[in-house]
Amino acid sequence: MQFFGGSDISPSPPAPTAPGNNAHMIYVFNRNGVCLLYKEWNRPLHTLNAQQDHKLMFGLLFSLKSLTAKMDPTSAEKGNLGVPQLPGQGCSFHSFRTNTYKLSFMETPSGIKIILVTHPKTGDLRDFLKYIYNLYVEYVVKNPLYTPGTPVSCELFNTALDQYVRSIA
Amino acid sequence: MGREVSESCIDSLLTEMVSSYCNRFYANKPELAARRIEAIGYQVGHQLSERYTMERPRFSDHLEAIKFICKDFWSELFKKQIDNLKTNHRGTFVLQDNRFRWLARMSLDPTAEEGVPQDPAALAESKAAQAMSMYLYFPCGIIRGALSNLGIPCAVSADISNLPACSFVVRIKA
Repeated sequence: MQFFGGSDISPSPPAPTAPGNNAHMIYVFNRNGVCLLYKEWNRPLHTLNAQQDHKLMFGLLFSLKSLTAKMDPTSAEKGNLGVPQLPGQGCSFHSFRTNTYKLSFMETPSGIKIILVTHPKTGDLRDFLKYIYNLYVEYVVKNPLYTPGTPVSCELFNTALDQYVRSIA
Repeated sequence: MGREVSESCIDSLLTEMVSSYCNRFYANKPELAARRIEAIGYQVGHQLSERYTMERPRFSDHLEAIKFICKDFWSELFKKQIDNLKTNHRGTFVLQDNRFRWLARMSLDPTAEEGVPQDPAALAESKAAQAMSMYLYFPCGIIRGALSNLGIPCAVSADISNLPACSFVVRIKA
């Protein structure tokens, strides 16, 4: 399956699914749980301080992934609940929806997790998340001035991401 | 010539080259690191110009050679031509590329300029500018090597006052 495209950013990102999607926040974590990027566009309620918020989000997704993999009725082998899994092992959880928001998730083989919280009427955002990962690879990973494992603060990435998310919102 | 190499591979190789020379081989001696990187570029430019001028007749004068660098040589290396060429007709040429491929993905850390303004900000900016300028010694060396193989000894320097455009200043030795 051709997951990651060529070295140029794919020239035509997928068209927005419906008008009026509102992106609320985005988190990007690496495999060690370091929050590489947190950006919010529309978040009326802040309940925790930033560090606890990131830890909670990472923990939530770690547990959800583990739980969905263990409950998978089609897979033959199951380890014990709570055993950490390699990225890509087990089934891949990709979104959950409540009455006020929808959370979409994508994990890459290198352990980079991208989480996007949007309006509940949003459709399937997997292609959008792939495009965001493409942006990450182009502007962050290939930036010689960026040290891997530290929070991302590359101007080009931030502006490109902002522009793209606003265009799908 | 049908053999190709991945562009990401070249980008990563160049990044690592500059990083090795600046941080490991000649740590704390940026001028020496810059000289070595430029020398590598010189060898590369020398060999590349040999290969890309195989079918062509000799160049009649300096301007023709510079035009070759701007059009054919740059297209072979970067898939585009130089956008703007200026000269003072006395041996100095300025080659401007409005979107230099090897710098296209580099961006600075904007938070390094917050906090106490003026002096620390200028310092942080010049450190970032210095880091970026290390990546320009290689292309300067390539241009110098290519021109010297065509019989034109020169000195090449780069200017990144407005990113992502990049200018290379070629001064021909009289």
